[in-house]
Amino acid sequence: MLAHLDDGSHAWRFRAMASPCEILLDTGDAALAARLGALAQAEAQRIEAKWSRYRPDNLMHAINTAGGAAVEVDEETARLIDYGEHLHRFSEGRFDLTSGVLRRLWRFDGSECWADAGDVAAVLARVGWSRVEWNGRAIRLQPDMEIDFGGIGKEYAVDRSLTLLRDATDAPLLVNYGGDLAASGPRRDGTQWQVGILDSTARIHLRSGAVATSGSAYRHLWHAGRRYGHLLDARSGYPVADAPQAVTVAAPTCSAAGALSSLALLHGVGARGFLELQGADYHVLD
Amino acid sequence: MQLNSPLNAAALALLGLSQASAAADAAPGWSFDTSTLVYSEADGRVQAAEPRVRATRTWDSGRSASLGLTLDTLTGASPNGATPSSAPQTFTTPSGNGSYTIAAGETPLDDTFRDTRIALDASFSTPLGTRNTLTTTLFASTEYDYLSIGAGATIARDFNLRNTTVSLGVNVSQDSIDPVGGVPQALSRMPDENEPIGRTEGTESKQVFDVLASVTQLLSPASLVTLTASLSLSDGYLTDPYKILSVVGTDGEPLRYVYEGRPDSRFKQAVYGEYKRFVADRDAWTISLRLMSDDWGVFSQTVDSTYRWNFGARDYLEPHLRYYRQSEADFYRAALFDGEENGLVEASADPRLAAFDAITIGLKYGHTTRGGLPWWVRLEGYTQLGRTAGVPAAAADGLSKFDLEPELNAVMFTAGFRFDR
Repeated sequence: MLAHLDDGSHAWRFRAMASPCEILLDTGDAALAARLGALAQAEAQRIEAKWSRYRPDNLMHAINTAGGAAVEVDEETARLIDYGEHLHRFSEGRFDLTSGVLRRLWRFDGSECWADAGDVAAVLARVGWSRVEWNGRAIRLQPDMEIDFGGIGKEYAVDRSLTLLRDATDAPLLVNYGGDLAASGPRRDGTQWQVGILDSTARIHLRSGAVATSGSAYRHLWHAGRRYGHLLDARSGYPVADAPQAVTVAAPTCSAAGALSSLALLHGVGARGFLELQGADYHVLD
Repeated sequence: MQLNSPLNAAALALLGLSQASAAADAAPGWSFDTSTLVYSEADGRVQAAEPRVRATRTWDSGRSASLGLTLDTLTGASPNGATPSSAPQTFTTPSGNGSYTIAAGETPLDDTFRDTRIALDASFSTPLGTRNTLTTTLFASTEYDYLSIGAGATIARDFNLRNTTVSLGVNVSQDSIDPVGGVPQALSRMPDENEPIGRTEGTESKQVFDVLASVTQLLSPASLVTLTASLSLSDGYLTDPYKILSVVGTDGEPLRYVYEGRPDSRFKQAVYGEYKRFVADRDAWTISLRLMSDDWGVFSQTVDSTYRWNFGARDYLEPHLRYYRQSEADFYRAALFDGEENGLVEASADPRLAAFDAITIGLKYGHTTRGGLPWWVRLEGYTQLGRTAGVPAAAADGLSKFDLEPELNAVMFTAGFRFDR
């Protein structure tokens, strides 16, 4: 849906990937804005449809229900799996494409609902990238395993949408999918884009490049007096204690920003140290 | 933008991009900001026209370059430092080849004052890693008898996703002056028109070193504060070779004139604080305070405030109010008493080193075209009110009949616009 903004520019808003999505277009041309907005929306919906783990008709479903058989994937899916593999290695196992099954044991609603240790151990036995056969073209899971692109899919959609729109127009624009964002360059007047960070007084100043946020003030749980963030450490099956409420990271691409912010949360109290080591530009909300 | 994380390359591979293609610069054009200031002091004093143009270019990599050119043309008259007299006064021009006469009771103004200044600067800014920016600057300015060249470097580091910025800068400059008629001896008698000036042509120079540290912090989405501390050391010839002082008797009437002389170093310390607040999601209010003191005994305070009222999507009005107060330099003298010049090493009657208060009131109107390019006009009035200082006690009665600190009024009109190429 197209919105006219006070400063003469336009915004295209829609919902996808369980998030509010917005394209800010620094152009006074409403027809152009609507055309570009629809282009981005179609791309976000394509990505959601192709890899959503909730749909029975897509490639992801075919991989997860192959019953131990290898499934050939297209080149784009291969790149996402390669990236997931890279993150697994880079995070020393904290991130794992096969860890989605663990999430069913946890409710991050601010309560003190702690998962049963036996259940965690049982589900953890089904997790582990080392048990996956991946040769760059075909993937074979053990029959009890599943993969999903949670934690990388939305950021990938932001980067892809920006690339598509940038090829289609010179007008400055910003893609914002549920708080993960990327900008094509400075605004027409040379100023930076300014976007508020949820639950924080800080603002993001973005000229070009991307910013992603992991965590939220609302998605956590309490156990034995300590606060646990909503991301699960794939090595243990448990959430990480004393993680910051949210980590926001700026990087050249939203995919890199999203990975750095997620991995920082998985480092718990060591989030800042991890980000410093990576030379990242970041904001941590404790 | 660079990130030393190996994740960066992996994310680019995910997008089917290589590091090199992602870093390839698009070709954004140059942006030109131009403005012209017309400055006019009342009573036929200094008139100036100052056109400026600045070209800026920012690349996607975060690098930016800026080139500036300023042209200053000055005409009119400025105080030569002498006090008024009950009889007309005749002064030799700096070259010694001419003279000008000032009517009885009037503040002596040197109307041979005429100059054109050209100033050039170039700066280049480059990100170092994701959070540091290094800016290097070269500048030069030249006028008839003066040449200044300098260089500077500033490193800025962002924290907290640019909610905090700390910067540290240094500047050095080398100035040389080649005064018309040579370099006068401090506190020596100014020769009459037909006397030989008894000086040889010569060049004097000075060096200036500045260091500056600054912190900008976003306090909330709607407010930010900047604090800056700076030190500046000037070393060398700091005297104005064209400024003189009257040597007066008990009646306050001039007996002769002597050239001014200043210390050969000046050390300044300044602190500056600025608070900016966005009001009602529409307007911006800025207030700043600057305090400066130096080892010449000058202490100054500046309060400056603007309110930008964005009354339309592309129009704004910005009232401006500034108040400035300074104390006089230790060696400031409105005039010298007969013989006093023989016991002094330094003295100056330059009104810029006197005690005074100044108020600036202005209004700016700006508009942004549909194409996104801004233009603006600004009208400002300036009033300077001197406070009596440095009057020799023995001649105080005699000088009291003259206005030693005449009010200075000036009007400034500036118009500017931006265009892209």
